[in-house]
Amino acid sequence: MNEEQTHRLNCYVENKPGVLARIVGLISGRGYNIQTLNVGPTEDGSVSRMKIDVLGSARVVEQIILQLRNQVNVIEVTSRKM
Amino acid sequence: MNMNEKRTGARALVESLAKAGTEVLFGYPGGAVLDIFNCLTDAKFPFVLGRHEQGSVHMADGYARSTGKPGVCLVTSGPGATNTITGLATANIDGVPLIVITGQVSLPLIGTDAFQEADTTGITRAVSKHNFLVHSADEIPEIVAQAFYIATHGKPGPVVIDIPKNCQQALTSAQYPERVSLRAYHPESAATTAQLNKLARLINDAERPVIYAGGGVIASGAADDVATLARKAGIPVATTLMGLGSFDEHDPLSLRMAGMHGTPAANWAMNEADLILALGVRFSDRVTGRISKYAPKAKIVHVDCDPASIGKNVPVALGIVADVKDVLTTVGSRVKPAVHPEWIAKIEGWKKERPLAWKPMHPGVIMPQAVMEAIDKASGGRAVVVTDVGQHQMWAAQYFRHSIPRHFLTSGGMGTMGFGIPAAIGAAIARPDHKTVAVCGDGGAQMTFEEVVVAVEHKLPVTFVVVNNGCLGMVRQWQELFYAKNYSGSILTVKGRPANELLEQDLDYDYLPDFVKLAQAHGAEAYRVLDPAKLDATIAKAMRSKKTTLVEVIVEPRANVYPMIPAGKPVSDMVFD
Repeated sequence: MNEEQTHRLNCYVENKPGVLARIVGLISGRGYNIQTLNVGPTEDGSVSRMKIDVLGSARVVEQIILQLRNQVNVIEVTSRKM
Repeated sequence: MNMNEKRTGARALVESLAKAGTEVLFGYPGGAVLDIFNCLTDAKFPFVLGRHEQGSVHMADGYARSTGKPGVCLVTSGPGATNTITGLATANIDGVPLIVITGQVSLPLIGTDAFQEADTTGITRAVSKHNFLVHSADEIPEIVAQAFYIATHGKPGPVVIDIPKNCQQALTSAQYPERVSLRAYHPESAATTAQLNKLARLINDAERPVIYAGGGVIASGAADDVATLARKAGIPVATTLMGLGSFDEHDPLSLRMAGMHGTPAANWAMNEADLILALGVRFSDRVTGRISKYAPKAKIVHVDCDPASIGKNVPVALGIVADVKDVLTTVGSRVKPAVHPEWIAKIEGWKKERPLAWKPMHPGVIMPQAVMEAIDKASGGRAVVVTDVGQHQMWAAQYFRHSIPRHFLTSGGMGTMGFGIPAAIGAAIARPDHKTVAVCGDGGAQMTFEEVVVAVEHKLPVTFVVVNNGCLGMVRQWQELFYAKNYSGSILTVKGRPANELLEQDLDYDYLPDFVKLAQAHGAEAYRVLDPAKLDATIAKAMRSKKTTLVEVIVEPRANVYPMIPAGKPVSDMVFD
């Protein structure tokens, strides 16, 4: 649980100004470093997909995912260990 | 109005606020909100002018905490917006619904370092539940509707709407929507049948159960349901600081407050329990102490509307993301009546062994705990009590007998000094049917004292009680206990200060400011008490007055808050004096 590992978060979010900053802030504000960040449109132009690689324990990443899902502009978050 | 008729964005905002249910608007004007203020004079709701934006947000917060309805606040751009940060953070961590509207420089000027420009959505992101930057007057009605929805659904919280000046001035025919639809935000969640069955089984199998009730019980309106379950299944109830009032402390099943300064009975019961039914709490470090030693024998059931709260600080046997009231009303019929005589007897023994108690330290000097008892007595336990932050806050938590939801308003999570005076004003405006009393220390009272004038000009019969010990008591207490009595920065009198804090060594004063004169200068009726024999009568007299009153009580400066479980320590390290 406490072993640090890279997790890839797949976030589908509303394509609106400020959403990227909100998500990045939520992760960096907890002291976690984003290793890779990739943002792009989906077929539905009003939805963006973010791929975020973050190093952290399973417990911390689980908490980040729950907080991301609480965000008003976040549609869906999934994750897998890399 | 005609659906196609255009009006300014500012007027659309004021109309939308009225449609969303705004009963009163708190705030402070400035250049970037002049268009909105221009429309307020014929708005359907009154405007209450604070004297500092922080005060205005806390007033809206006090309104919201005492009613459950969102408090609404309007301020200007730049410094107006940055002055709201403390108020936003205070509401955010305690789950209080607020709508804070900030002016912004016109869209074409954003990013030019224009006069009174600040990146408000950037700055408020981490201290609000959500925020909006308006890009067009046409968006305003929809965004207002969404903001009220977000503020009040799921875990409540503050929402910021930043409106550039040119959007306030532009014309729009956009109408307030009939219903709100948010694509990605669907916070409603209910317990499954399997969860309810498991919950009932855990309750029915428990031998030493404890209900641990937090602010979520009050937010959900579930206080009666907690009482019903507790009485049916014979479960003692401890509360958090935010949960005070969610269970009647006169009830024999009440353990009163748990945590760092909670009752021994509440903390020992959690330590010995085999089941903790945690309702609308977030397992603050101020309650759990050392996490690894928290409730070692208990299975923990956690019911909360916030999925991110469950399992965040303590592992749980059963987590249910749902409204507390919904869960309690549906599980009730599955729970068997029980009394747990041995468990209750053990708890009664603890209550007798270590009741909350205080004794005078010096003859003729008022003890701060006595101030709380005097207020409780004078109000018959019915007042809305608002606190500031520090020692007096903990004594207020301990020595009032809390029995009514939304009658104890306090900055729990953020611990914001300066909250008490303005929040009490907001509560007094919201609840004219009840007497409002603000209990403050001399430190916090000085942070937002300017707001007292707002109570006076609106003829609010609020009583401000300044518990004056001439120091920042909680800081001083920690320095006494954990920093070898090195009272750095915590003494407000000249006497007792370290030499590095005296630029002139021959200064000679004891208590400054004179709170009685200060209150009188603001137009309030004021009293000072030093004599323990006159305490009850003076407090009662001030509380009977129809005017805004202030009572300065000079109290024992060296009194400490006990019992205390030092930060990060287990229950076994509780100290009593």
